[in-house]
Amino acid sequence: MARTSDATRPDTESEPEPPRRRARRGERQAAAETGVWYPRWYWPSFSLPGVVVLAFLFVLPAYVVISVAFGTTDFERFGRAVPYYAPWWWSFDTFNQTLSQFWGPDAIYQDALIRTFAFVFSASAICLVLGYSVAYFTARKTTKYKGLVLILLISPLWISYLMRIYAWQGLLDTGGPINVLLGPFGFRETDLLSGLPVTVILGLVYGYIPFMILPIYASLDRIQENLLEAGRDLGASGRQTFWRVTLPMSRPAILTGLVIVTLPMFGDYYTNDLLGSTRTQMFGNLIAVQNELSGGKTRTASLVIILSVIVLVPMLYYLRETRRASERA
Amino acid sequence: MSVGLEAAATTTPARGYFKNPWRKPRVLQGVTIGYLLWSLLPVVIAVIFSFNNGRSRIVWQGFSLRWWTADPFDSILHDPIMQAAIVQTYKLAILVVLITVPIGTLFAIAVDRWHGRPARGANFVMLLSFVVPEIILGTSLFILFTTLLTVVNLGTPAQTLGLAVFQVSYPAVIVRARLLTIGPEYEEAAMDLGATPNQSIRRILLPLISPAILASVALVFADVVDNFVTVNALSGPASSETIAQKIYSASRASPTPEINAAATVMLITTLTIVGVGLLLYRRLNRGQRSSGASDLMQL
Amino acid sequence: MERHWSRRQFLGRAAGSAVAVPSLAAILAACSKPGEGSGGDGSPASDIPIATLDDPVTLPLNADPIPADTPIESGPLIYYNWADYIYKKEIAKFEEKFGVEVEITTFNNMEEGIAKVESGQVQPDVFFPTKGYLRRLVQNDLVQPLQHELIPNIENMWPIYSDPGPYYDREWRYTVPYTIYTWGVAYRRDRVTDDEIAAQGWDALWNNEYEGEISLYNSYGDTIAVAILRNGSLEVNTDDPALIDEAKNAVLETIDQNGARLTINGVYAKLPAGDYTVAESWSGDIVGAQWYLPKDVDWDVLGYWRPDPGQSMTDNDLIAIPSGATNPRLAHEFINFFLDERVAYDNFRYWNGYQPPLSSIEPDKLIADGVVPPTLPMAVVSQDMFAQDLTPYELPPEVDQLWQAAWTEITS
Repeated sequence: MARTSDATRPDTESEPEPPRRRARRGERQAAAETGVWYPRWYWPSFSLPGVVVLAFLFVLPAYVVISVAFGTTDFERFGRAVPYYAPWWWSFDTFNQTLSQFWGPDAIYQDALIRTFAFVFSASAICLVLGYSVAYFTARKTTKYKGLVLILLISPLWISYLMRIYAWQGLLDTGGPINVLLGPFGFRETDLLSGLPVTVILGLVYGYIPFMILPIYASLDRIQENLLEAGRDLGASGRQTFWRVTLPMSRPAILTGLVIVTLPMFGDYYTNDLLGSTRTQMFGNLIAVQNELSGGKTRTASLVIILSVIVLVPMLYYLRETRRASERA
Repeated sequence: MSVGLEAAATTTPARGYFKNPWRKPRVLQGVTIGYLLWSLLPVVIAVIFSFNNGRSRIVWQGFSLRWWTADPFDSILHDPIMQAAIVQTYKLAILVVLITVPIGTLFAIAVDRWHGRPARGANFVMLLSFVVPEIILGTSLFILFTTLLTVVNLGTPAQTLGLAVFQVSYPAVIVRARLLTIGPEYEEAAMDLGATPNQSIRRILLPLISPAILASVALVFADVVDNFVTVNALSGPASSETIAQKIYSASRASPTPEINAAATVMLITTLTIVGVGLLLYRRLNRGQRSSGASDLMQL
Repeated sequence: MERHWSRRQFLGRAAGSAVAVPSLAAILAACSKPGEGSGGDGSPASDIPIATLDDPVTLPLNADPIPADTPIESGPLIYYNWADYIYKKEIAKFEEKFGVEVEITTFNNMEEGIAKVESGQVQPDVFFPTKGYLRRLVQNDLVQPLQHELIPNIENMWPIYSDPGPYYDREWRYTVPYTIYTWGVAYRRDRVTDDEIAAQGWDALWNNEYEGEISLYNSYGDTIAVAILRNGSLEVNTDDPALIDEAKNAVLETIDQNGARLTINGVYAKLPAGDYTVAESWSGDIVGAQWYLPKDVDWDVLGYWRPDPGQSMTDNDLIAIPSGATNPRLAHEFINFFLDERVAYDNFRYWNGYQPPLSSIEPDKLIADGVVPPTLPMAVVSQDMFAQDLTPYELPPEVDQLWQAAWTEITS
């Protein structure tokens, strides 16, 4: 995968593949007749800048992170990372030690790991249910105000995430409006920002839900009204139409929404920094804390690798699903 | 506060609706209105408090322009550091748009037209970069730029490159989706009529995908302005700090309504830019079947 | 050395083929195991010992100071310090006096500041490091010796800072002091009395009565040291795993049972606002807190307790000139300017809250002049405390790792 298109091209060319060659020659002849023929480097060359960017800034850093995680630290130089680029020098001590902290009786990262899954799962579920309702209503039920509602739905995207969470920090703070409203119900002041899971989860929902609403809205909006009416005409109840037609048709959008909401949440640390405390630390916070400690770079890199492996499963699942969907299309 | 909302939301799709599809779906309506209030009120309040005559961002102490113009050190007008942060934010946004949109568009065209294993491989990596959590990429790039690629200075150069690799997938994905709906017929027709490949791309394809390109511009621009993780991980001297970073550090220190004022400036500027963009989009998109926002939502 | 190899290697590859990813084998071939076999890899063996009060260190000169007749440069002077740690008005005065611009650059924690100076990402003319990093800054040639002739105002500081010079920098070869402060407990006098806090001492930060209203610093060196003191030991630089472990458990205990929070702004911003009742505090933070009080709250709600001298912990911050400074003469002038009695005093009393070790400052007078609120007598640092108090030293790497591991557990 690290190999670029151009690196592998000569290989394919040198391989004896007569059938394909012949096919290609035929193509070229056919093309020559119609005038629609591209040199074979034509389309690949379009991807060149993108491939260079990905190779240098996506694939290469992945290797450097591995080299740092399996490398060492120079404490005389303020704990800077000393990467081992050569696999035969790799030392797995720090990585193994970090990994062992995730599960077991004295594993210090275990709570954060479980918490991360719990928070991400709850927040994604709320995003899905609430987001679907809003998207459904907007797509199917608003007629007069659709444009306005749509603009209002998109507008959070144009306001900095940090700004929106910062606004909540103020609202939830001691003496803030929420405290005043909740006061009569026996909530102590400042309690809301003292590391309550519910605060952090709702903060995550608040921050990420637009990314759930928009793809679902787009897919619901594309479903033709007459398709649903056809369903009903054939005797399906409204409920059946929803479960049999509407929901399956919006399934790819739900998947997309879940992926673009869930994956960033796994790496989120600023929501908890602003709205939570050490009692609500998530995986991203573990990375952020190590990154700030001098000499923590090896552990930072180890944590990054572990998180990557965790999110790799849903990422690959999503990529497979989208490919299938595009093949079906 | 939204607990009530979610409870209501779980009863969707409102039962009554199925009995009578033309009845007003009051529950859903309530949920949607409640959601919009929940989503926008905090921002409105934050904007209002930029005019507070006091340090507090929660207790109203009277109207003043103290944090906008009056204070000799800590108002937007007199605080070069905050101004620099605003400038830096937009500088990065423009640079990243200029880099990623052409690269991503070309990439999308290439992957759409060029079939083969390398194309699929490249596309796979591109999609991977689209979904990878930002903290992974940001931290990795920080390590890259401080160990192997030290020619790239932290600050604007590192931030621009880091954001570019994170954002290049947006135009790639959006334009690709558009290309899938267009198909090759238009170009083929053009070339039947004697156009060279380059001509057909410039004259036929580009106009056809221009709405998707513009949507990418808007999305990348907004996303860079919004970005915190990558920008923070790769920032160098204080002059390379953006507004998002200022908000973050202020929120953990002693924030004054100056932060609200700065965020309001950003809000107004971004909305203006987006508004102009939308108008342009409409003009470009006129006469085309696809509805305006759908390109944005191809994601 | 290693770094340059990889970089050159990398550039060579990049130039050679703009397209291909540099093949791993090529990079690998260029890499022997870093730190081994290369012998002198740029940094000399750690020959400078760690300084302590009992074993003062005279840092070796890594170059000659700039000549005293170096002309004043035209700037701009790059200033690199913690955020919000200097009075901007005094900087404006400096700009006016020398007709130059000062570019204010800040860091949010010392690790960040050091890392950026070390990597050359920031090239300041004046830098404000903490003591624990000084030895390595000199070792790696990152700071330059001071030209004493250009800093006559050192005389305004407590004599120990120039003669014989502080224990960490005898003969003040590289640094001048900026501020001095102690560790203690800041508290709200409208909620607890002075006597109650004095009776509890550090235990106030572990008192369940203040549940949810306790703040500790989000900084491992500070908070673990305070927990060690609270546990009854004076070993604030301990390498004893048992002591570190006890301290860790103590911090976890007050977080879990008393809802203590780890903050940066707990003292100067949140205590005045009433969010906290007790907080681990640097003396400078609580003095500065008076400017953050809401309009309707009196300054006398602020209180500060520290142990008696000899059992309390004192430290001072430094100003140094990095070796890469492009305006070294101007940097000397800047240092001299901020050692000026008037400037240092104004910086302290109008904005900063952190006390400079000026000889002319008399503890009683600070309160009489209204600089330090009368309820905060213990926030004033006196000269003898510098020599007799506990103080944090640079921890050797393996010990530092123990402390960081404890902190990792606290913050997970």
